[in-house]
Amino acid sequence: MPLVAALLVPGSPLPYLRPDNPPWKPIAEAYRAAATALQAARPDVLLVYSTQWIAVLDQLWQSRARVTGLHVDENWYEFGNLPFDLAIDTEVTASCIESTASIGVRSKGVDYDGFPIDTGTIVANGSLNADGRARLVIAANNVYHDWTRTSQLAAIAATTAERYGRRYAVVGVGGLSGTIFRTEIDLAQDRIAGDENDALNRGLLARLQQADVAGLAEFCADYAKRTRADMGMKHLAWILGGLGDRYRGADVLGYGPTYGAGAAIVQFRL
Amino acid sequence: MSNGKIVAGFLAPHPPHLVYGENPPQNEARSQGGWEQLRWAYERARASLERLKPDVLLVHSPHWMTQLGHHFLGVPTLKGKSVDPIFPNLFRYNFALDVDVELAEACCSEARSRGLVSKMMRNPDFRVDYGTITTLHMIRPQWDIPVVGISANNSPYYLSTKEGLEEMAVLGDATRAAIERTGRRAVLLASNTLCHWHFHEEPEIPEDMSREHPQSYAGYQWDMRIIELFRKGRTKEVFSLLPQFIDEAFAEVKSGALTWMFAAMGYPEIPGQLHGYGTVIGTGNAVMEWDLSAPAAPVAAAA
Repeated sequence: MPLVAALLVPGSPLPYLRPDNPPWKPIAEAYRAAATALQAARPDVLLVYSTQWIAVLDQLWQSRARVTGLHVDENWYEFGNLPFDLAIDTEVTASCIESTASIGVRSKGVDYDGFPIDTGTIVANGSLNADGRARLVIAANNVYHDWTRTSQLAAIAATTAERYGRRYAVVGVGGLSGTIFRTEIDLAQDRIAGDENDALNRGLLARLQQADVAGLAEFCADYAKRTRADMGMKHLAWILGGLGDRYRGADVLGYGPTYGAGAAIVQFRL
Repeated sequence: MSNGKIVAGFLAPHPPHLVYGENPPQNEARSQGGWEQLRWAYERARASLERLKPDVLLVHSPHWMTQLGHHFLGVPTLKGKSVDPIFPNLFRYNFALDVDVELAEACCSEARSRGLVSKMMRNPDFRVDYGTITTLHMIRPQWDIPVVGISANNSPYYLSTKEGLEEMAVLGDATRAAIERTGRRAVLLASNTLCHWHFHEEPEIPEDMSREHPQSYAGYQWDMRIIELFRKGRTKEVFSLLPQFIDEAFAEVKSGALTWMFAAMGYPEIPGQLHGYGTVIGTGNAVMEWDLSAPAAPVAAAA
């Protein structure tokens, strides 16, 4: 089976850069558990979609064979730098770029030294694939693409990876509820901002565990409005599209706050 | 030191296409020109800036969007390569800029004293956003005037336009107080496009001007209405219309730079000088100047 894993992970740099802060420990520890599971699944390639790589023209895909550099998050720069070293599966990426015309989407490759890789992609790769064993296919989040279009793009990426004989994992990088604290807080006291957000996040995670695929898109539309969910949860649409809308259940490896916003690591059972 | 003042404010939009069209040595991408009317507008603005002889340029950029408060560049020298994440084919710019840290700290302090969450950015590896760099390059390509870079807090989007712009006005007030307290002769730069409706695909030759025009006629009409009011010095009327303009033209001024600048200048009812207008991938861009150092011109004369 070429599809070997699927993960929903957060892109906030806070648990990554400060894993010992008590409220962020559940996410940091869950990332470690997810990395172990992913290593056991032995993927050749990770199909990554991060809500933080924003595109507005065309569908962009990272097409540079090796992307290295040092990133500083524009919000959380005081917590440290984010070095990265990404290996791209250029063959699968090139084929994805050609294939999206079939759904009426024009795609472009991004192959530039110094391109600003987003925080979410760096955090996910650094946590799950620190040794660079798996190569990446990275798709941008075009803000004008909706749930369905995002799901279609993931399906194309999965089909393409399969056609090239890759063992692949689907990784959606983004948060849950997007309500943050607007004032400075004691980081050791971080929590989900608002009981309703917490309840809705837990409701979403329960649905994911139940594999209620049919109801998820509808649920997420309402959930996104009520919780300012990260990019309408399009990173979840990416995962479901990559799974072909089929999975057996899910395990929530961790759930917690990132400056009031919700974050979770979910491993899908295939 | 005291008795600083704001000598002028510029509406100084930041499409990276303008840098690309100019082919400066700092930018890796090469073009055959394009967007000349806007680039020539900036040439006129550069001449004005030369005459104004400011100590410092302050720029408020929507492409350094922060979630927790208003941030200020706080490292004396920043350098690196800024690649536009949206238009990496056009903008890969090697920058080096000097920051007026003392003034930035004063701005931050004044903002805090007015109840705004404010932070100094002290990480020397920070990559300055392309909006800040484009505006600064276009207004002063020599890079010989220190700058204060200010983030755009996301409050107009996260809260409401009204609440967000009220915050920006407080930030403007704080900025003016800091400039006066530190004795600087300052020029403010509002790095904003007007109508922000844009095309969704790029021409094969980006600088093919046969493909360039307003994306939206209604948006263009809004831009002309706002510019004409500014030209007549009817500032209050512009700001009373601003929420409607933002909603109907998807105007980038929602991010707050224009409000910040005008609040800092005290919303002067003086004619703005239009250096030029043009579209970039369909968006409306005006380069305009409000010279506070000039003797007050009678508003009626510009009408």
